[in-house]
Amino acid sequence: MPDRTQPPGKELIAGIPYIKPLGAKLGNGLPVYFLEGGTEEFVKIDLVFFAGSYFQYKPLVSFATTRLLRSGTNTKSRLEISELLDYYSAHLQLDAQKDIVSVSMYVLNKHLEPTLALLAEIFQDPVFPEDEMRTFLKNQQKIHIINQKKVEHLARTYFAELVYGEQHPYGYRLKPENFDMVERDDLLAFHRRWFTAANAFCIVSGRMPEKMEKMIAGHLGSLVAQPDEAAKPPRFQMLTSGSRKVKLEMPEALQSAIRIGKQLFNRTHPAFHRFKIANALLGGYFGSRLMQNIRQEKGYTYGITSNIISLVRSGYFFIATQVGADVSEAAREEIYRELKNLREKPATADEMESLKNYLAGSFLRSFDGPFAQAERFKELLVFGLDHSHYDEYLQTLKTITPELIMATAADYLNEDGMMEVVAGR
Amino acid sequence: MVKFQRHILPNGLRVLVHRDETTPLAAVNILYDVGARDEHSERTGFAHLFEHLMFEGSANVPRFDYELQHAGGENNAFTTNDITNYYLSLPAQNLETAFWLESDRMMALAFSPEKLLTQQNVVTEEYRQSYLNQPYGDAWLLMRPLAYDVHPYRWATIGKDISHIRDATLQDVKDFFHTYYHPANAILTVSGNVEASRVFELAEKWFGDIHPGPVNSRKLPPEPRQSKEKRLSAKRDVPQHQIYMAFHMCARNHPDFHAADLISDVLANGESSRLTARLLHDQKVFSEINAYITGNLDPGLLVIAGKPHPETDPEKAEDMLWKEAYDLVVNPLTERELQKVKNRVEASQTYSESNVMAKAMNLAYYELQGDADLYNQQIENYQRVKAEDIQRVAAEIFRRDNLSVLHYGNTDTVK
Repeated sequence: MPDRTQPPGKELIAGIPYIKPLGAKLGNGLPVYFLEGGTEEFVKIDLVFFAGSYFQYKPLVSFATTRLLRSGTNTKSRLEISELLDYYSAHLQLDAQKDIVSVSMYVLNKHLEPTLALLAEIFQDPVFPEDEMRTFLKNQQKIHIINQKKVEHLARTYFAELVYGEQHPYGYRLKPENFDMVERDDLLAFHRRWFTAANAFCIVSGRMPEKMEKMIAGHLGSLVAQPDEAAKPPRFQMLTSGSRKVKLEMPEALQSAIRIGKQLFNRTHPAFHRFKIANALLGGYFGSRLMQNIRQEKGYTYGITSNIISLVRSGYFFIATQVGADVSEAAREEIYRELKNLREKPATADEMESLKNYLAGSFLRSFDGPFAQAERFKELLVFGLDHSHYDEYLQTLKTITPELIMATAADYLNEDGMMEVVAGR
Repeated sequence: MVKFQRHILPNGLRVLVHRDETTPLAAVNILYDVGARDEHSERTGFAHLFEHLMFEGSANVPRFDYELQHAGGENNAFTTNDITNYYLSLPAQNLETAFWLESDRMMALAFSPEKLLTQQNVVTEEYRQSYLNQPYGDAWLLMRPLAYDVHPYRWATIGKDISHIRDATLQDVKDFFHTYYHPANAILTVSGNVEASRVFELAEKWFGDIHPGPVNSRKLPPEPRQSKEKRLSAKRDVPQHQIYMAFHMCARNHPDFHAADLISDVLANGESSRLTARLLHDQKVFSEINAYITGNLDPGLLVIAGKPHPETDPEKAEDMLWKEAYDLVVNPLTERELQKVKNRVEASQTYSESNVMAKAMNLAYYELQGDADLYNQQIENYQRVKAEDIQRVAAEIFRRDNLSVLHYGNTDTVK
């Protein structure tokens, strides 16, 4: 019989087995990186354009341009493109974010050639048919209106507006009428200006077939290198000060969504790693103080989380939860109490060991396999960093002390400048 | 192709191992052969509530999550109408910790009224967050009892009502544990950078002395063949009308299962699928449209759901969905369209084989159905489906007297 009273021995994580990216530059200037690995015969192609909502003059233009790339070219209709993508079971995702447009496609190696040709065509030659655009925007408007009934959605969008201001694309809260204001010319111009090889990079990951490089060069090498006329990106004023609260009353709500946080910095900031670790102790995993207190002890919620989000030109911290409407106020108080504890109560030896081991394991998991590694590498390229950034994180994780966590919280998580939204009751 | 080795312990625990040397991790999955379908009709939601209690500590491990986090691991679980599934991953060198944790809670879960009460509160909030405080969130709470008259699939895993969760007693918890949580009612799978012989050794060491209970030989009332169309309307504060159409279909182990799955793909998987291409893009009647199967072990449902634009009368929109479905009965698919949906099955299975956790889960799920190797036969089973099978199975499914319809809308659209 085993001795069940003692945990089996554990070994710590020695390091991360990085897959070394092999870089190449195509004739049109598009940087391409190859991450070889994996067991199955398929690859993932990531294409990133610096063409997020930050670069648009009008709400929704980046989103609509991105999502409608596949709605028609000079030689193929939307239906023909969709049929080919479905036939080759290429799993294509077109995601417009704040800073970047992220395109990712999984495809079986045996279908790679025709799928790459199609991918290149929709990036090079989209025509954005008026009718397709109207249908898309009308349907998205419907989804937007339904989202306005969700407390979590309201809290999230009002929170961004509080943190960055209603003028800034990081903070802009969409209104239903925005969906009626997009014109086809907006999409054509936005595509011409930002969807170019000079403004992008590509990562190919997985178990690659022979001549992968040649295939990529043959298709993606034909993307336009530079725009004819380089219009400047718009300039925005970012709100930076004050401490504001919003209460969105919804008398029928059974739960309130709470979001509390503030503008901070992104992953290029010297304090980023230690902040990330302090955040984990607060609300970044199941063993965190917020989760243990508000869910596991009090039973106020199904879940609570906190995180720091990196944007290219800024970053922000937030705590988010949905709690029973009757305990909304009690939960708010507990959140502020835990913020105060993070500044004032040193983590116990137990807390530290659990935190460090969990984060190390979680970090290792986030590098598991070529596709996950491509994701982590993409993050580095967007912020102009290299793998030493991740080594520094592991180093910080090894050396961080309870005192440094408290000091970090004292530096960045005091109540001055904290924003708060409660949607519900 | 997921290769595996199997070893069955004397107490009945089935252990399967798949080796993947390309990862530094190990994934461990324990499937218990119990789900919401095994609940008493006046004590629903219990299997899921119990799943929460499995994280509240056992005889030698007061804090399950804490110990796993110490070993660099992460875990979660889910409950369906059919099964309860626990899964974790951790650095492969710490594999034994997973065996210590999982065996201790299988052997002797710790019970306490305080822990029960807290998790009753947590699950109540989960109920509100996912079902009651969401637009359309309760549609499936209405749809299940409409489609099923007697089979326990007539309630959702979260339960019929919050009061059922509230009323659960500590005795219920103990009885449930002793009935269903033992080696003969479980399947343990490990995938990752591990040696099969080492895994079998660890299984003997940690699980070998746990006493087996009876295998869950459930006798559930089969759902009688539906004899007439069923209809229901729900009036809620939602911005847009939604139609749900549910048709009974065969069980997962039935030879026609793959054809039925492909039918749902032909209808609404991908932008070129029929409902999406025709009713959303061309005719612009719907703003969202969907079709899928519930994929249950007992006979399940094929569901078509869509939100029509307000310009279209909901009854007329429903008729358009019906006509598209019925077209599959009348006209055979082209070879190209059939191949398209088969390609999707092949691709998604191949993509999931790059993930150690998905592999461990799938092995356990197919082992429950009789043999883990069934997983490796899936692509072939789909490839075998012919156009005439699609037509024949569509004719069996798309009958008016096999249909349950829910119209879910506001006071403007639901009278």
